[in-house]
Parts: sequence; C-alpha cells; structure tokens
Amino acid sequence: MISADPGSFRDPASHVVFDGERVLRLLDDRGLEAWQQLESSTFFSNAVESGRLISTTQIDDVPDGAVGALQHPRIPFVSYPYEWTFSMLKDAALLQLDLLAEALAAGITIKDATPFNIQFVEGNPVFIDIGSFEKYRDGEPWIGYRQFTRQFLFPLMLRAWADLPFQPWLRGDMEGPTAGDMKQILSGGKRLKPSALMHVSLQARIEERMSGASVRSDLKDAGFSADLILANVRKLRSLIESMTWDHGVEGWSEYQSCDHVGRDRETKAEFLRGALARSNPKRVIDLGANDGYFSVIAAEGGSLAIAVDGYEPVLEELYRTGHGENIAIVVSELTNPSPAQGWAGQERPALMDRAKPDHVIAYGVIHHLIYTASIPPVTVLDWLRSFDAPTTLEFVSPDDEMVAKLTANKLELELHPGRSEADFRVLLDRNFSIRQEHALEGGTRVIFDLVPN
Amino acid sequence: MIFGYLDAGSGSLILQAILGGLAGIAVAFKAWKARMMGKRAIAQAEKEAVSDETSVNSES
Repeated sequence: MISADPGSFRDPASHVVFDGERVLRLLDDRGLEAWQQLESSTFFSNAVESGRLISTTQIDDVPDGAVGALQHPRIPFVSYPYEWTFSMLKDAALLQLDLLAEALAAGITIKDATPFNIQFVEGNPVFIDIGSFEKYRDGEPWIGYRQFTRQFLFPLMLRAWADLPFQPWLRGDMEGPTAGDMKQILSGGKRLKPSALMHVSLQARIEERMSGASVRSDLKDAGFSADLILANVRKLRSLIESMTWDHGVEGWSEYQSCDHVGRDRETKAEFLRGALARSNPKRVIDLGANDGYFSVIAAEGGSLAIAVDGYEPVLEELYRTGHGENIAIVVSELTNPSPAQGWAGQERPALMDRAKPDHVIAYGVIHHLIYTASIPPVTVLDWLRSFDAPTTLEFVSPDDEMVAKLTANKLELELHPGRSEADFRVLLDRNFSIRQEHALEGGTRVIFDLVPN
Repeated sequence: MIFGYLDAGSGSLILQAILGGLAGIAVAFKAWKARMMGKRAIAQAEKEAVSDETSVNSES
C-alpha cells in the first residue's frame, strides 16, 4: 500500500511516497533524466560516501504513474529547522553551500535551498532531496539564492547579530524572514556591515523595485555564468563560517550546582539503565532533556534518544560537544510542542506524532509543568499516559527546594490539587503500574519505573 | 532553461550577479541596460502604434 509523504509535493518532477517500510522517490521524465546525470557523476558517489547525501538506489519495480523510482533508507527521526539549535542550522547551511559548489563543478545545480531538505542522522546533517539536483544550463542564475537567504542566512543572522531565537520565526513562517524584515530588525551597526548591505538592504531594495520582472534571459544574454554563482557561494560560506553565537549556559550551570542535581544524578542514571533494560526500547523521548545527560544514557544503551527541551543553549551545548550520535535534538517547549502545520495542516507533522517513543523519560520535568506552567497534575499524567509507553518519572513533592523557588510568588489557592505524594500516587495508579520506585536521598523526590495500564 | 517550481525573485536574481564580484557587476549592468533598452523599445513601439491609430482615426 503506497501512501504519499504529505511534505513532498511541490516539485512536479519528483516526490516521495512510503511503501510499507520502504521510502521511495517517484520520478517523471525530467526527474529521471536529472537522476541519471546525478548518478553518473563522481560528485554523487563522493557526497554519498562521505555521508553528506542520502544513499539512493534506483529500483526496477516502478509504481504506476511514475517513469522511474528510487529507494532511500528511512530517516530515523525527522526534525525541522524550527526545532534545531543555532549550530545545527549553521552546519546545514554550510552543507547546502558545499554541495552546490561541488555539484556545479560537475555541471549540476540545486534548484532550491531549504533546510527542510536536510535531516540530522547520527548527529550530522544529511541532504535528503535527491530531486533537487538537475543539470546546470549555461547562463542560469542560482534559483535558490533568495530562499537560501530567507531560510538559512537570515535566521542565522537573527541569532548571531541580534541575539534573537530564529525558531519562533521559522515555526510561525516557514518561508523565513524577508530581506525587508531583516532590514527592520538589524540595528544600525549590524545593518552597515558589507554583507548585510548586500544580502539584506540591497536585496530588499532591488526586490521591491523589480518585483515580477522577468530577468533570467537578460542575465543569460549578459554573460551570467556558474563562476558568478561559485563566487557568491564562496563568500556566503565564509560569512556563515564567521557567524557565532555565545550561547552561555549560565542558567544551566546554576541548575547543575543545585544540591539535588549532583547528589541524585548517578542514582537516577542507574535507575534509568534498569528501566531501559526492562523495556528494551528502540526510541526514547527525553522530555525536558536539559543537557542531555539521560538521553546519552539511553543512546549508549542502543536506543535513538529524542532530546526535547525548550531551552536552546543546553541543546546547543549538547550538539557542539558531539553527543549527538544516536541523539535527535529538538528545541521545543513541552507546553507548546511543534504542531502539525504547512499545507492542509499536514505538510509538517506535529512533534509528538513524529516522536512515537517506546519509552518516555520524564526526569526533573513534571514539577515545572505543574508549578511553572500551571498544568494540573491529573492532566500531566493523562498526557504522559498518551504516549502509551513505559515511563521513567521523577516525582517532586511540594516540600522540595526547587518547588519552593517555583512557587515563591504563588498563593496556595492558585495551585492545582493532586500535588502531594499521596494524591499523586492515586492519579498515578489510574494510568500506570509501578514496576519499581526509589526515594531519592533528599527525601522530597521519588523516581518511578512505570508501565501503562 | 530550468523549470523552476520556486519563485526565485527577480531582484534577487540580479543581485546574485552583483554578489559574484566585479565580473558579476558588469553582467548585472549589461542585463540592466538591455532591460532598459528593451523597455524603451517597447515604449517607442507603443507610442508609434498610438500615433498610427490617431492618424488612421483622423483620416476616416
């Protein structure tokens, strides 16, 4: 039974479908011709061999309606740019530019430039859209330039030059900020940088003036060549290389210095190892993953760990320190996880629909949901139960020092019932059975190994 | 030509010639000049067409 990938429909020459566990790319005449040229190039074999381009094989059993078909390996976990950290988007941008430069040298171009064509596999960016490659025709400009600026360059500028998170913007508008938007956002000094003058100010002005004009043949007749694209790509590459973000992890350092963190960490790790050994999961979601300490433990046990946290700096640190192998990093608030969006509300599925974990880690998180986000304990447990998977959970009692901080400015009547250990256990019993439990040393926290009822 | 499904943005296409360096600026200028001359030629042709029509109308 073949089903269409709801996120693959824009390019008429090529689109992805699922045939059971198989991931197929169906091609029309033009797509097949482009594939044949790509496949015969050393660029393709080198890029696949180095892990930067998804491995691809042509198959003989072509489904009805297609002229050719390719098969790709399944991406273990699909994430979107609005869930990435700064360095993830930066690495993806560099990959996009490098592949374009190498492809052009082989007489091939990339007809778009969107981070949605890149996925992170074992901690590294991999270009997955084979259908984006096609023959370069002399005199043609880089069609994806504007898209590159909106979806890679400008979001990176937001963080590097204005210290603003790009994720909310890309989540709200997947096309990314326009040059005109960036002109408004960047402060005077930043706007006067030569690269900003060109990519932001000049692009905004020239786009406004020339909207709707047909210029491709003019450029061709004037002698436009691939060398000009390459010169632009080289400069963009060094600009992006130079962009940095001082992500400072002060908040996290403070958190690490809390008494309970250092004291309980190893006990919780050992307890988690036992729980994971019992459920033997393939995919684990680490809710409120923080620095990914427990995600790393799950990954070391052979699971794919999906580390979700709304605080970008800690996940940025996790990515930079190279703990990304077998860990999927997701910047997303648990109280507002990435929704299904895009065309027909289906193009980019919701985070929780993509995660599909068979084990849930909820260490050090539910008290933030209950006390900071004011989610009733009963609702928190219903939500955890909805994963329908074994769950390792840390209960934090109202007497805990962290809870005291979180409720410093809240009145008792502003808090939901079900917070005491006794009440919480009643709610727990409605949803889960306790396989094991362990009271942590401070006397205010209990960790549970749970299975859904 | 490339059958693009993406709106590349006319201004952004011209801009990337400029971003290609000195040689690119020359290309962008040439393309702009050709464009201006093309526009002028169209305007001239339109002007002539209007004047032809006017003279036809006045003759009738």
